[in-house]
Amino acid sequence: MSSTRPELPREFVASHKRRRMMDAVAELTAEQGYEATKIADIVRRAAVARKTLYDNFDGKEDLFLSAIDSTLTEMRLAVEEACADTESSEAAIVAGLEALLEYIAEHPAASRMCMLEAISATPSSARLYDNAVKGFVELLRARAPEGLDLPQTIEESLVGGVAWIIQQQIRRGDAESAGDLLSELSQFVLSPYSGVGKVGGPGRRK
Amino acid sequence: MDRLPRGRHGLSPEFVARNQRERLIAGLIETLYEVGYQKTTVSLIGQRAAVSKSDFYKHFESKDDCFIAAYDAAIDRVREQVAAACEAKEGQEWARRVQAGIDALLKVFAAEPALASIALVEGLRAGRGVYDRYQAAVESFVGCLREGAPLTPAGTEVPEATDEAVVGGIASLMGRRVLGGEAERLPELFPEILEFVLTAYVGAEEARRIVSAE
Repeated sequence: MSSTRPELPREFVASHKRRRMMDAVAELTAEQGYEATKIADIVRRAAVARKTLYDNFDGKEDLFLSAIDSTLTEMRLAVEEACADTESSEAAIVAGLEALLEYIAEHPAASRMCMLEAISATPSSARLYDNAVKGFVELLRARAPEGLDLPQTIEESLVGGVAWIIQQQIRRGDAESAGDLLSELSQFVLSPYSGVGKVGGPGRRK
Repeated sequence: MDRLPRGRHGLSPEFVARNQRERLIAGLIETLYEVGYQKTTVSLIGQRAAVSKSDFYKHFESKDDCFIAAYDAAIDRVREQVAAACEAKEGQEWARRVQAGIDALLKVFAAEPALASIALVEGLRAGRGVYDRYQAAVESFVGCLREGAPLTPAGTEVPEATDEAVVGGIASLMGRRVLGGEAERLPELFPEILEFVLTAYVGAEEARRIVSAE
């Protein structure tokens, strides 16, 4: 490092390094899977000392879980924020979906880590994924129109369906264009609340 | 699955081999359900199947190899049951066939929680190789659902993502129940799942009408 570099506050440097390690684990697990990702790969990618990693995290799994947790929290906040200033349930649901897809398009590696790798990597990471799904189910339930006579499990099925479609998009390597799913997913999620075929959008793809 | 009689039994070597293989697959499915993937070992599978460790390796290269064979066998079983139920309603309207399919799906999983566990939970958790198979299984059910699906009340076609999301949504809902140890109670979800599926195509009101006409 050059000696002319201006001094940055210590906390800034520390949090920046944490961020870099979390980004590195996201990128590496997205590229090669959790099993194959080694501490050595992570410190090289993040350009930090091995000691720095162990000063901040207990090890690979702790770092991986922290990265998943931080991504899922950001994702959830983005969705909540988008839902907040809307006038109807319908608008809230569409805005929430839009924010979710936008987040995924902007963070393809982190999203892959949370929505695919997490499920199979370790029991704790699978639990984080399950809890996030539960959180989105509650969020949808809270924003759904009231007074409709719908199945108890409808939100669970809808969230599961949306997650599935997004997972397939990520697996195809098309996370960056997740936004293309908005119209079809809106139609799907709104079907119990507002009726079928009411939201404009393309029909069945040929 | 019953083990074969010891000693001279006049059964062909091919029959014995096939029977052993099937027992090993059943053994893996049951062991997996009881102790989870990590703790499932070749020895435990062999014990359960009454097949020696050396015979295990005549059929499979590894635990993972046996797992994949077991996964495929499990999905084939489920698919057969669902297809048979749908075929029995051939010529009837789409909603009736869907209803028969969902009913069969829930019943086969409820009757065999170990089968439900490998198909819906362990398959997803096992990692990359098996995930492809989980995905292919979901896709095959998407095909069944799409066939003959009605136009929306507005006269438009239901988007392709809907078929996929419906099947993915059902699989996820069932998987969460199985993970919670409630496989036996899956048939209780029948009216809710049927209503969810129909709603995505014909709207909530019509779906409710069909479900309550049961």
